[in-house]
Amino acid sequence: MTRAWRKTVLYGLRYLLLGLAAFVMVYPFLFMVSTSFKSRSLALGDPTSLWPSDPTLENYIQVLGTENFARYFLNSAGVAVVSTALIVLLSSMMAYAFARLEFRGKRTLFTLIIVGLTIPTMMLIIPQFLLARDLHLLNSLPGLVPFYVGTALAFNTFLLSGFFQQIPRELDEAMMIDGAGPWRRFWDLIMPLSKPAVGTVIIFSFLGTWDEFAWALTVLNDVDNRTLPIAIALFQGQHSTSWGLVFAASLIAIVPVLIVYILFQRNFVAGLTTGALKH
Amino acid sequence: MSTPQSLAAPPRTAGSGSRRSRHHVAAAGRRRDTFAAYTFILPGFAIYALVMLYPAIQTLLLSFRDWNIAPDQPSPWVGLDNYIRAFGDPVFVDSLVNSAAYTAFTVPLQMIVGLSLAVLLDAKLPGRVAFRVLFYLPVVTSWVVVSLLFQYIFSSGDGLANHVVVDMLGLAPENVSWFQERWSGLFAIAVLGVWKGIGWSMLIFLAALTAVPEALKEAAQLDGANALQRFRHVSMPAIRSALSVVFILLFIGGFNVFISVLLMTGGGPGNATQVPLTYMYQQAFKFLDFGYGSAISFTLTLVVLAASALQYSWSRKRMAD
Amino acid sequence: MKIWKSGVAVTAALASLTLAACSSSTPEVTQVTGGDGAAELAGTVTYWHAYSADSPEVATLEGTIIPAFEKLHPGVTVKDVPIPYDELHQKLITAAAGEQLPDLVRADIGWVPELANLGVLDPLSTSMPDFQTYADQVYPGTLATNLWKGTYYGLPLDTNTRVLLYNASFFEQADIAIPTTVDELMAAGPALKEASAYAFADNGAGGWNMLPWIWSAGGDITDTDVTVATGYLNSAESVQGIQNLVDMYNAGYMPDIILGDSGGLQTSDGLATDKYATILDGPWMYPIFAGQYPDFTVSASQVPAGAGGSVSVVGGEDIVMTKSSSNKDAAMEFMRYLLSEEAQLAMAEVGQMPVLSDLGPQLTSINAYYAQFVEQLQTAKPRPPTPAWSQIDSIMQDAIRSAFRGDKTVQEALDEAASQADALLAEFN
Repeated sequence: MTRAWRKTVLYGLRYLLLGLAAFVMVYPFLFMVSTSFKSRSLALGDPTSLWPSDPTLENYIQVLGTENFARYFLNSAGVAVVSTALIVLLSSMMAYAFARLEFRGKRTLFTLIIVGLTIPTMMLIIPQFLLARDLHLLNSLPGLVPFYVGTALAFNTFLLSGFFQQIPRELDEAMMIDGAGPWRRFWDLIMPLSKPAVGTVIIFSFLGTWDEFAWALTVLNDVDNRTLPIAIALFQGQHSTSWGLVFAASLIAIVPVLIVYILFQRNFVAGLTTGALKH
Repeated sequence: MSTPQSLAAPPRTAGSGSRRSRHHVAAAGRRRDTFAAYTFILPGFAIYALVMLYPAIQTLLLSFRDWNIAPDQPSPWVGLDNYIRAFGDPVFVDSLVNSAAYTAFTVPLQMIVGLSLAVLLDAKLPGRVAFRVLFYLPVVTSWVVVSLLFQYIFSSGDGLANHVVVDMLGLAPENVSWFQERWSGLFAIAVLGVWKGIGWSMLIFLAALTAVPEALKEAAQLDGANALQRFRHVSMPAIRSALSVVFILLFIGGFNVFISVLLMTGGGPGNATQVPLTYMYQQAFKFLDFGYGSAISFTLTLVVLAASALQYSWSRKRMAD
Repeated sequence: MKIWKSGVAVTAALASLTLAACSSSTPEVTQVTGGDGAAELAGTVTYWHAYSADSPEVATLEGTIIPAFEKLHPGVTVKDVPIPYDELHQKLITAAAGEQLPDLVRADIGWVPELANLGVLDPLSTSMPDFQTYADQVYPGTLATNLWKGTYYGLPLDTNTRVLLYNASFFEQADIAIPTTVDELMAAGPALKEASAYAFADNGAGGWNMLPWIWSAGGDITDTDVTVATGYLNSAESVQGIQNLVDMYNAGYMPDIILGDSGGLQTSDGLATDKYATILDGPWMYPIFAGQYPDFTVSASQVPAGAGGSVSVVGGEDIVMTKSSSNKDAAMEFMRYLLSEEAQLAMAEVGQMPVLSDLGPQLTSINAYYAQFVEQLQTAKPRPPTPAWSQIDSIMQDAIRSAFRGDKTVQEALDEAASQADALLAEFN
């Protein structure tokens, strides 16, 4: 009886903490949602009142009715999916080599990856632009992919190599005794055991490429080639901005990112890796 | 570019095992490793070298010039002038201090709160997915939108922050003009940084906690360990490397804070809340002084690398103890 | 080079037609050139601008102006590319470095000398044979923003300026007249303070904010050739212009957002919510007030005059053609069309003030509130056209703020700012 009671209290405490944190985290977001249902809001309203007085769908209708909106959406989706797939593949390969293999030049290459983490990419934009021009990658959606992949690799390689290190080495060694080469160990051991880590990389990479704005704006000129963040930024005016419109568009743009998140956070289930370890 | 070696030290690998039976296998494996390693590294590294390292070298060269963006106009070499100027520039030095303060405030909070939420959400709990989504919402919301929102929340009149600080908690006698002063302005920016970053570190910690074998936790429970003890002795060792990775990434991210500062204060009032990247952006893209902007950018890179190296070697030493 | 020369020949031919059109009774320049020149013009003209996506400006440009032009010149296609305003400058700079600029750009007036100095703009006053025709039709203050080292690199496209916007209720309640001079504004301070309002509010101390007060006091920033600031920016008149504001601030007639509190009560919100009695602002504020504060009626008058009269600052955009444009004839023709009465009036309907000074009287029938702006534009001056302006602006802002904070006297602050500005100006001469 007392044990059950204690359990209930602990549960209650846990929910209270989570609820409190959730409220603080979500409040600004709710404000965004609320503003997106207001009409012609050129200034932000009172942040303590979350219920719009005259809720309207007109912002959503206007956003979805914007010329080419569906096209921008698909443009972003295509670039994000292809880039994410490449980022996951290439960064996990690199991370595996850094975490598990010995080779000449490893130290130097790892240093170069770390350096890449710390360089502000904003400052690289002009040399990158000249490079894209010389490679004939300007003004093209597929041309975004190598740049998205290349700039994301340092971060994800570093992140994954941290996770790969955590996998017990005994497992590798057991497979090595069975005669498994590096590729088999990568595909059959490290990757399946790293589902949560790979899920994290997918979530972050998709978000990063879906949201990318500065580079896409700099290299894309044709209106038809644009990605969604550019279309959303265009709702902001020089002297005034219809916030309801910007927020509505931003909320629509969040949906795919959340879907990817919900799909891949399912990998974060305790016991998933434990099962594999028993083999 | 010289990099402190300790940071660059890659993780020790399986080949360094000490037991004799292992040694034999490892030696055989190592020969195959070297060739295989390059096939793992090369495709990714080639793209990385092309779109990151090559432009970075060009930017580095640019920092030794008085660079003119027009291709047909001269860009004379000036040696270390831009770097000497940076170290004598009080605005730049202050901007480094500001970003250090921002990092000191945001990194521990993001780590602690992120880890706490991850631990709470790692267990089987009804509504877990809903909470995981709620805490992740700030991460997916665009920086532009939330920066403007937080500027509004911290507005000096009856903004939400003043409502909480003055009316609800009574911490200040009257409404605070957050963006009027250096530290209160940076505080507001840092609050946004924490708010937006918690879900990010939570996600990585969640992924790391997932790898903790349930059997170990159960065994500890049978031994009579309470929740806190189980966390310290079972979970913590298993996520050490994730902690160190998150710390370094947050640390680098803290020094590279940019959009929120640009949009919330623009580095002002005066240059009070300037951080290295806003100052770099102003010099390069507003004043078209790309040589100086590049020098600022590489000085920041050096500072961050040196600091991360110190931290990294310190944490390795601690782990070894 | 060869192409360029033949381009000049064609433009010269077009220009003679244009001039003929001007000397005849009809001012409709473009119709005549369009009618005769249509067969010769072909190709695509790419045009970058920063009208926002949901704006009526973009609707008019894409729905009215471009179709009308393409009808006049069936061989020409105008491809307009909207770019978010905050990023346009960065994109222009990067494109300039990579030699990837479009044919035409609607550029902020402050960017023209900078881009000209980079050598990426076509020198219109030498390459456009009928340049003078257009130069004569526009407000002189707007034309001057295109000048760099004796050459004009663009034409003004739309304009605006700051006038005094006020909340009439305060002046009625306190029974004081609307201030027409700086002295009257300062004298109104105590009564307005009594009514718990600030007499005047502004949120910046850079050129856009401070120049009206400096010029109206008879001061200036640089000499007319924009080579030196000392003796101008720190002249007795300039100091007086700033001193008036500092005195008002110290007396509590101005709120402290002047020091740069980005979270403070902004000028327009304060005006509409009975906190600020007057502000300086532009014509774009009218739709914002109407949308956000439907119960508030904003009133306008001229910038309070000083010893130098009532002189405000010119804002707006210029249209420039790039040196790298591969279709200069068609691009130039589209520029001409954008400056036609027809196109200018169409844009006036959606809030873009025309630059053609003759259109002034007609504007009030489009929007009554244009009247004060048209009047103010007669004397309004541009910020000094120099590539160093963004740096000088930032120096001025820091210096003047230090005077507001009381760290320095106005004279000290402006002396320092002037000598720093001198060094920058010297770099470009």
